[in-house]
Amino acid sequence: MTSPAGTPEAQAETRTTEAAGDGRPPSLDAQRPGTGRYVAVSCLGLLCALLVVGGFVLGVYLPNLHNGLIAAAFTAVGIVVVGKRWGNREGWYFTATGVAHAAMFFGRQYGFYSAAHRDAALPGATWVAWTGVWPLALVLVLTGVTLMCFPEGRLPSPRWRVVVVVMVADGVLLALASALWPVEYADNSLSLPHPLQLGGYQTAQRLWDVLGPASYLLLQIAWVACLVDRMRRARGDEARQFRWFAYAVAMGAVAMAAGLAVFGSPMLGVLAVPAIPLAAGLAIVKYRLYDIDLVINKTLVVGALAVLVTLGYIAVVVGVGRLVGVTPGANPVLSIVATAMVAVAFDPARRRVQRVADRLVYGNRPSPYEALARLSTQLSRGGQHDDLLTGLASTVADGVGAAEVTLWVGSIDELVTVAWWPPRSDHRSAMTIAPRNLASLEDGGRAHVRPIVHRGLLRGAVTLTKAPGEVLTAAEDSLLRDLVAQAGLVIDNVGLGAELRQRLHQISVQAAELQAAAKRIVSAQDEARRRIERDLHDGAQQRLVTLALSLRSASRHAAAVGDDQLVARIEEATRQLSQALAELRELARGIHPAILTQEGLDAALSFLAERAPLPVRLNIHLERRPPQDVETTAYFVVSEALTNAAKHSGASSVTVSAGLDGDRLWIEVTDKGQGGADDRWGGGLQGLVDRLAALNGHLTVHSPAGGGTKLRAEIPCE
Amino acid sequence: MRVILADDAVLFREGTARILIEAGFRVTGQAGNAAELLDLVRRDPPAVAVIDIRMPPGHATEGIDAAAEIRRIHPDVGLLLLSQHVDTHHAMRLMTEFERGVGYLLKDRVSDLAGFAGDVRRVANGDCVIDPELVARLVGRKRERDPLTALTERERSVLALMAQGRSNSALSTELHLSAKTIEAHVRSIFTKLDLPPGVGDHRRVLAVLAFLRSS
Repeated sequence: MTSPAGTPEAQAETRTTEAAGDGRPPSLDAQRPGTGRYVAVSCLGLLCALLVVGGFVLGVYLPNLHNGLIAAAFTAVGIVVVGKRWGNREGWYFTATGVAHAAMFFGRQYGFYSAAHRDAALPGATWVAWTGVWPLALVLVLTGVTLMCFPEGRLPSPRWRVVVVVMVADGVLLALASALWPVEYADNSLSLPHPLQLGGYQTAQRLWDVLGPASYLLLQIAWVACLVDRMRRARGDEARQFRWFAYAVAMGAVAMAAGLAVFGSPMLGVLAVPAIPLAAGLAIVKYRLYDIDLVINKTLVVGALAVLVTLGYIAVVVGVGRLVGVTPGANPVLSIVATAMVAVAFDPARRRVQRVADRLVYGNRPSPYEALARLSTQLSRGGQHDDLLTGLASTVADGVGAAEVTLWVGSIDELVTVAWWPPRSDHRSAMTIAPRNLASLEDGGRAHVRPIVHRGLLRGAVTLTKAPGEVLTAAEDSLLRDLVAQAGLVIDNVGLGAELRQRLHQISVQAAELQAAAKRIVSAQDEARRRIERDLHDGAQQRLVTLALSLRSASRHAAAVGDDQLVARIEEATRQLSQALAELRELARGIHPAILTQEGLDAALSFLAERAPLPVRLNIHLERRPPQDVETTAYFVVSEALTNAAKHSGASSVTVSAGLDGDRLWIEVTDKGQGGADDRWGGGLQGLVDRLAALNGHLTVHSPAGGGTKLRAEIPCE
Repeated sequence: MRVILADDAVLFREGTARILIEAGFRVTGQAGNAAELLDLVRRDPPAVAVIDIRMPPGHATEGIDAAAEIRRIHPDVGLLLLSQHVDTHHAMRLMTEFERGVGYLLKDRVSDLAGFAGDVRRVANGDCVIDPELVARLVGRKRERDPLTALTERERSVLALMAQGRSNSALSTELHLSAKTIEAHVRSIFTKLDLPPGVGDHRRVLAVLAFLRSS
């Protein structure tokens, strides 16, 4: 039960210092012992040593051996705890328990010696032995309270005080009875007489036989219940402290059982008793040690292997020997075969057992694939930066079974700690280093350091510490390499995420501006077209129509004077003028159909349908007029679509449908022609797409070769 | 016969006035916009008001709105609407809104003295007049399974003239055919196009236009 190596000692020291801030009252630690207390502790230690050593000088008596061992162990541990953690009351309880046991031990030793050497009985033997017997109940109460207060020297909650009061009362009663009558002498194999020869012994013994064991049982139940209660509520470090304690108790029980089974003697168990206070003390002083898991793990492995090897050997030598009729031990060949078989089976068995032990102790450590999958899930889920980074650290810790993982982020000039596993609530431990010397992070070889390089640049580092004695296996190393490769991506994402959001915002602002600009352009174009059409209407068309009137008038005058040649010329000019007017009408319509402004989309589409070069079926249902921009765009979409259908589709007819879907105008132009419109439309289609995009609308063209063409535009009516 | 003109294009208006005077009409007033027109009509209702559809202030369909107001205050005034271009929508609107004495022509028609004078007189008489270009466009419109192919050449001419608002007697005069022959043609057309028979001239125009437009 010694520390596995020198390094954890140092580790524990630094951790203890670090831990000063989290949860532990600093004033108690800061409090340094005065000289008086040093003297007190030293005196207690000396007293215990004198009593125990003196007791053993008188001989070794099995029924009393455990008291001596407990005395030495508790006192030693108590003094060490008091020295290391002055403010920890538990140290004082340990010391008290130890010294009390020492006194009891010495008293009994004195008695045992005197009983054994009746010829050379020590002075006042009956009285001294008496002092070793009757305080037992009180000492047990003290021991119980000590255990109940583990590890901080405080009861788990105030309601346990009631239990302690009951325990003390019980102890006092028992001790009083034991002090007055020799009710406990026989139980402790003490053959000396009781110094007080009071009457009523028979009654007292009868009562004791009933009440004694029950009271002691109650005492035990009380402290065990208290420990279980605390253990169940323990988390983190405290849970780890209890694991130490539980481990020691379990090992003691195993030793006791093994001793009784193999040697038929409780000696082994008794010798293991000091392990409990030792483990408890270790847990208090070095509770930050993470290696308890490792110790339990290895113990499980070794124990299980020992059992397996023994069983295997027995199975071969005895079982096979029986089968072939050979007496065990008589045939060396069988032994050799057994040994060989055990040797061959040893390594696979060890691995299997190790895996089981790992699962028992560490829980389900993820497989490399699981670790990577978990990381990618975290990445795809996104979330807060800190979550991502902490998630990364935890994935590394779980993946390679590290006790501690630190994640550093930065550049070649500076690295900053950003995430830890296990997580730290405070960021006071955040550190900044110049990473040119990554080796400095190795912490004297205890930590594994992996630089995070992404796109050829140092983006950070991962440092991890495994439990002492645990090495980074090749598989873990390879997983670590994969995780670190992903880490570059995570760090990049975290950094890029912020930059990206900024850019996206800019882009969306620009996009909105562009959209608005495009809409303004389209509106301005339409306005210009309307103006041109109106200028033509009020100007050129008006003048030409008037000119036609004048020409007719001139023609009539020429006819009146009988100039037939002139009449013919004027009639020819009038005919040409009519043609020019008709062409101008078409031109004006093409620029902007007046009917659209005057009467709306329905009338304008009717006009388009009337003069389309192929039959058009209209299916228009508009309960209200959309905004002018939207109407004009829809008109040009249909106009362009009809032109293209007539030119390219080869269809016998076209259907134009339009309607309002909530706040959106939709238009569909479908034909059953040869399809494949996408390739032929070219510029015209792009023009429509741009026009629609300006109004936040969109165009879909479904035109499979041979499958007709369906063009659909949707425009929001804002 | 008294006529009032309304058009914001002064030169054209003057030219039209000259032509009408030349054709024996009395132009009792000229207006540059709908409000002036209504004033003139209220003061001295004419036999016919010749109105440009597109006038200030909106340059949209002010002429049609003014015509509706005139019909409301003086139902006997004939209404002849002029436009730079003719739309079926407007034609249908006019035929639907006004029961009788209404016309819709391209401005170009004004220069044809005899034709225009005849149209004005027909409107004054309560007949309907629809521009031949519009009718030609409707008749020539591309159709699936064109029902007009069932008509003879002569029947098609009769149909076009009917759509322009001609009565049977007018058809008889124009085509130099007897009234009986015209009636036979008209019956035949109505049967072939599956139109409801036995309606008056105005209804007949509307039915034919609607048929041409929708088929």
